[in-house]
Amino acid sequence: MTAAIEVRNLVKRFGGLVATNNLSFDLDEGESLGLIGPNGAGKTTVFAQIMGELAQTSGTIRFKGQEISGLSTSERISRGISRTYQVPRPFTELTVRENIRVGLMPNNIRQLVFGATDRVQEERFAESVGFNLRNLDRSAAELSMGDLRKLEFARTLATGAKTLLLDEIFAGLTTGEIAMIADLIKQLRRQGFTFLIVSHDLPAITPLVDRVIAIELGALLAEGTMSEVLANEDVRASYLGES
Amino acid sequence: MFPIIIQGLLLSGLYALIAMGFMLIFSIGRTLNLAYGAYLMIGGYVYFWISQQLGFPQIVGFFGAIAVGILMGLMKHQFIVRPLKGHHVAVEISTLILAVVLQAGIVLVFGDSSKILLPIVPGVVRVAGATVTYSILTATIISWLIITILYLFVRRTHTGRAMQAVSMDQKGAAISGVDADRINLITWGLSGALGAIGGAFFASYTQLSPAMWVTPLIISVAIVIVGGIGSIVGTLIVAHIIGFLEVIVVSVLAPELRGVSTMLLIIVVLIARPQGLFGRAEN
Amino acid sequence: MELRQRHLAFWAIFIVGLYLMPELVSKGTLRTMIFACYLAIFAVSWDLLSGRTGYISFGHPFLIGIGAYTTAILTKRFDVAVEISIPIAVLVTMIGGLVVLLPALRIKGSYFALVTLAFMELMYQLVQVIRPDLTGGTRGMSGIETLTRGAVNGYYLAVTLMVILTFAAWLLMRTRLGTALWAVGMNEESVRGSGLSSTKLKMFAFLASAFTAGIGGAFYVHYLGSIAPRALFDINFLFTILVAALIGGAGSIIGPVFGAFFLVFLLEWLRPWLPGAERYFIYGGIALLVYMYQPKGMVAILESLYSRFWRARS
Repeated sequence: MTAAIEVRNLVKRFGGLVATNNLSFDLDEGESLGLIGPNGAGKTTVFAQIMGELAQTSGTIRFKGQEISGLSTSERISRGISRTYQVPRPFTELTVRENIRVGLMPNNIRQLVFGATDRVQEERFAESVGFNLRNLDRSAAELSMGDLRKLEFARTLATGAKTLLLDEIFAGLTTGEIAMIADLIKQLRRQGFTFLIVSHDLPAITPLVDRVIAIELGALLAEGTMSEVLANEDVRASYLGES
Repeated sequence: MFPIIIQGLLLSGLYALIAMGFMLIFSIGRTLNLAYGAYLMIGGYVYFWISQQLGFPQIVGFFGAIAVGILMGLMKHQFIVRPLKGHHVAVEISTLILAVVLQAGIVLVFGDSSKILLPIVPGVVRVAGATVTYSILTATIISWLIITILYLFVRRTHTGRAMQAVSMDQKGAAISGVDADRINLITWGLSGALGAIGGAFFASYTQLSPAMWVTPLIISVAIVIVGGIGSIVGTLIVAHIIGFLEVIVVSVLAPELRGVSTMLLIIVVLIARPQGLFGRAEN
Repeated sequence: MELRQRHLAFWAIFIVGLYLMPELVSKGTLRTMIFACYLAIFAVSWDLLSGRTGYISFGHPFLIGIGAYTTAILTKRFDVAVEISIPIAVLVTMIGGLVVLLPALRIKGSYFALVTLAFMELMYQLVQVIRPDLTGGTRGMSGIETLTRGAVNGYYLAVTLMVILTFAAWLLMRTRLGTALWAVGMNEESVRGSGLSSTKLKMFAFLASAFTAGIGGAFYVHYLGSIAPRALFDINFLFTILVAALIGGAGSIIGPVFGAFFLVFLLEWLRPWLPGAERYFIYGGIALLVYMYQPKGMVAILESLYSRFWRARS
């Protein structure tokens, strides 16, 4: 089983604050790993470092065996790894369709100028996350939070990345929408996608992940299946401490 | 050697005062007030009008300029910044348009030509081999005084600390109970006042003309970019770097190259350290 | 690229109308229109960079000036043929602009605006000081070769240039590149998060902008026959370009063309009453009001009228 992502001894310091504390973990290709922990545990910080939005203080990040720490975010995406955000960041004055179009765009000026738009692809991705074709020309500014999350998922898929980091993808969704996204994730898994999923909604992600790692204050607390990790005393203490 | 030091100190003090108002808005209000130079221009003209054309004592002229400056700042905040809800592009453009409109307005009222202001305090004095006008000496001393008061205000008073909080994190400050709107209002008024006084001094140092708002704006820009946003001390230090650089270039190389050193400094700093010498890295 | 019938119809009418002008109006009006054409080119060049990305450039007079001075110096001081000096001028504008503004593009939007303003001031001071034997110093140069003689020929040249450049720019912005540039203006981080290099996009927009500014500046100086730093590296000139683009509709390419013509004719119309800088007061005031009411400019106002008209009919 080849590794998709290998994180070794990742450390991130903000002045005196240690946000990521010597974290190491592996994510194999085709695997789905859950990343859980209380608020402020540093989950989003880990994502940001993997995607190159934040430079780590020390430690290595390998994707498909190659060190990616020197690459820009867009270069990492073209290698095949992409993420969604806790707070969706749509292009507010573009339509749903145009938002997805940006995700589909190749990072090449010549192709952007002379290549054609692929309306069929745009519709395919929109439908896959549950958009009605009638709504594709609505402005992103009009969308509900749930729809924005779906749109962001569609845009992330459109980049063509097969290793996806999902940050609180279920927050703000109705039960029906959660079920639909969960089905989509299962479908993508069958196609060989690799997932790293952060979520507070433990029941929702349990059927979607093979393994789970729990972190607190940026450090690894426990690793294993969901039930194993939840049974771990340190993990329970960290969650209780949160409330 | 000494003349350069003296001239450098005098000029830098003035530049520091001028840059303070701009820095406050950029750091606390998070907007780029391109009409900032206009405060200087209007401050200078009001001072000129009150004390030279109307014949009132100079101190009245100064306070007149300050009052107009505060008023301008408040109005700008009310009618331009707030309606645009801080969309920075819109504010940049609107303030630029406003600046040109104000310049045209000044031309309408006062005419196009430059005017020489009567010295604040007549006479010259020799300090360590340099001939220095009392005017600029007074201007610099008062500038330092104002900067010190400002520093104490920001550091020691409740309002001042609230301003610091807003400059660091607007949302966080709001959660802590700081009324960001009121702080912004105060900041804009303060910025207008500082600009107006700076303008009166700057006009005494060079001359009064409708187009005089561009150079001080660029200098303030340079100081803010090079220094990084946010600190009074940082602004002071960088003002001195820029001031001295200018004086040295003018004395040693050529007077026409006066502004060039400042521009080049901006470029170099931007390439090497985009957050400025003292700034926090913007996320 | 989706070219709809109404777009092509619009362009056809526009172009035909422009070419018919010499039959319909006086020489004086033609000269005004020539100026409007060049202003339209400058406004479009600004729009290519700043209209969509939100990186407001205050340095376009700088770019225009490089183009103008390069061709002026080459033709007047070195007797280079115009057919060679103009392409060189465009190249120099693109390279010079890139060298100078590239570091600024890597930084956030607000800083970019500041830096470009500084560069414009810098050019103004430098051009008076460095090699005044070449540049003509503060007074500039006159007696530069002109390409056409007479108002009518000058008009045809200006209109042809403007139509070609504007149409090309318009086509360019209707591609996916155009959408990408809008996206940069809305949320640059998201653009990177979608796998695109925002730096590459900005750079391309900048080059297109510099290219247009360079051509515009070069042809303009060969129309005027003279050049002076005061006229080029001036806040008022910058202001005119910006306002034309903004009132017309930033990002739309055709908006700036409208804006340019509107502005020039407004200024001309005001001239008998307000000959001097007072005109800037009035039209600056109008510009501010229009901009704050509808930042998207006349194009947006027209589009909403158009759709309201359509809805009323159905």
